[in-house]
Amino acid sequence: MDVQEAVAEGATENGEVKRDGRKQFQMGPGDILEGKLIYDGSIHADGRVEGEVRVTGNIDVANGANVKALLEGSNVSLKGAVEGAVTARDKLTLGKNARLSGDVTVRRLQIDDGATLNGHVRMGEFEQQASGQ
Amino acid sequence: MFGWASLSSRRPGSRLPTPVPEAHVSNGQRNSVVLGPKDRLVGQLFIEGDLRVAGTVEGALEATGDIEIAGGGKVNGQVTAYNRLVVGSEASLIASDVRVARLTVEDGATFSGRVSMGPHAEEPAPVAVEEPAPVVEPTPQKGKRR
Repeated sequence: MDVQEAVAEGATENGEVKRDGRKQFQMGPGDILEGKLIYDGSIHADGRVEGEVRVTGNIDVANGANVKALLEGSNVSLKGAVEGAVTARDKLTLGKNARLSGDVTVRRLQIDDGATLNGHVRMGEFEQQASGQ
Repeated sequence: MFGWASLSSRRPGSRLPTPVPEAHVSNGQRNSVVLGPKDRLVGQLFIEGDLRVAGTVEGALEATGDIEIAGGGKVNGQVTAYNRLVVGSEASLIASDVRVARLTVEDGATFSGRVSMGPHAEEPAPVAVEEPAPVVEPTPQKGKRR
């Protein structure tokens, strides 16, 4: 499979969308990300995402997005469909339309009525950091 | 892992049609059981109806309706709710297996375990009040009509 490597180790400062002084990786409903993204900032995931996403900030998966990826971020908020392991160093929120199939490691967890979760939930310490890979 | 893990979540003979204690539902209300903050259960519990836990449970819980772990309720074990499970913001659920149709976890709750939701979560078939199979039997009650 042709997989693109998209690694942004926090060195690039130019051409980024900034929100509240933090970098934001903004995707639209027609966008596709395949491969591995390590990013110093937050990501708004929409469209299609496949592979691995590790960010120092927050991950926000839009309603209607289709994600088959390992996700790791501080606060992770899901409103769409996600297949893959999710790590939230702080809080994971599953919105009412969220569908998550995968194992979950979190410090805090909120699941709204209507959300679907299939997987193992672990609450507690973290051996991995976003910069650790 | 857990000593009680060898316990089955199903009460003995759960595959058989359940003899529904009609006395509990005869008033048209769904049966509801509450374990208060000072209550404690060790073992397994099956409820034909809803269950609300504000106390401490170690073992397996199964309810045909909703299960709510509320207040400072603590459940350590397997949980099966044929409808909905709610884990309140101060409640704790450390489970080996969680099988539910709907799930709400409030922010602040302690929650861990393997979660199975959706159609295949209904594997422990809802206890249908089964009509006795129409057995063809020569009955001498010729005069009986309804």
